[in-house]
Amino acid sequence: MTRVVGIARATYNFFAGDAIILTAVVVAFVLAALLEGSSAAGNAVTAALFIACIVGGLTLTLGRELRGRKR
Amino acid sequence: MSGPLWAVFIAAFLASTVEFVEAFTIVLVVGVTVNWRSSLAGTGLAAVALAIIVAIFGTALVVFVPLGVLRVAVGVLLVLFGLKWLKKAILRYAGLKATHDEEAIYEEHLAEMRARGEVPEQRLDPFGVVTSFKSVLLEGLEVAFIVITFGAQVKDQNGVAIAALGAVAACLLVVGLGSVVRAPLQRVPENTLKYVVGVMLTSFGTFWGGEGLGISWWNSDLFLVILVLFYAAVTGLLVLWLRPYAPSRQRVRVAGIVDQPGQEVLR
Repeated sequence: MTRVVGIARATYNFFAGDAIILTAVVVAFVLAALLEGSSAAGNAVTAALFIACIVGGLTLTLGRELRGRKR
Repeated sequence: MSGPLWAVFIAAFLASTVEFVEAFTIVLVVGVTVNWRSSLAGTGLAAVALAIIVAIFGTALVVFVPLGVLRVAVGVLLVLFGLKWLKKAILRYAGLKATHDEEAIYEEHLAEMRARGEVPEQRLDPFGVVTSFKSVLLEGLEVAFIVITFGAQVKDQNGVAIAALGAVAACLLVVGLGSVVRAPLQRVPENTLKYVVGVMLTSFGTFWGGEGLGISWWNSDLFLVILVLFYAAVTGLLVLWLRPYAPSRQRVRVAGIVDQPGQEVLR
């Protein structure tokens, strides 16, 4: 069990290592896929939201680092 | 060679050049920032995988390989890797990254070794191998698609072979030009390189991932340049936002890398 958790943790650290970044990227891709699939939004809107989610993830994780250092 | 075959050669050459430049950019930055052994190992593995895929499917490749799914998978991984590197590089530029974390100590050790003229250990780095592998595999598949679709358009049995020649010429050109810029790149400070790699990986990941999802980027491949400039501008603003919060004693000069005032590498 400990070995499985260790492997899972190592995989997570290798590919992401940051929960906020991972969540933001997943949200970006799922949201863009849904919008493209449903054609509810135009191509430009989907592209803008896709990029905004990625930038938002980076900004949020840096904000968290900053808050952690201020304490 | 007839007119239509020349047209196929030129079209395949130009289209493949774009794809090879994209793949080679990643191979180059991984080689300079991680190490060449990992970068070339990933490239070699991708070439073998590509050869096997092409040997199995032949010209039916266009029908059986889900390029969209591959683009999304590669896009997700590149954005994740890119953001990880950008986060570290931004924190270091802003002066917020801890001065004595394990990675910084390892990098200082490497810098000292380089200053003494010793060659650092060239271990295979999983990040470097995987990053090169997926970039070369994806772009290699795109080149294969270009060769097959362009070559099949002319009513000549040599069409695919001529298109393949165009792609080989493009590959030689890009690798030749790349080897010229390799040496100057290795003199760039480490954190600057990591920052540039972060911007590149995030831009390529956004571009390929978006394409895989069905987003049609404005001006097609040219939008990649816009994405690079956009991410560079945004991350520059993030550094400016964070910099006032940096404690001044965390600004350290790393021995062996730079020794001029104003060129400190922040760790």
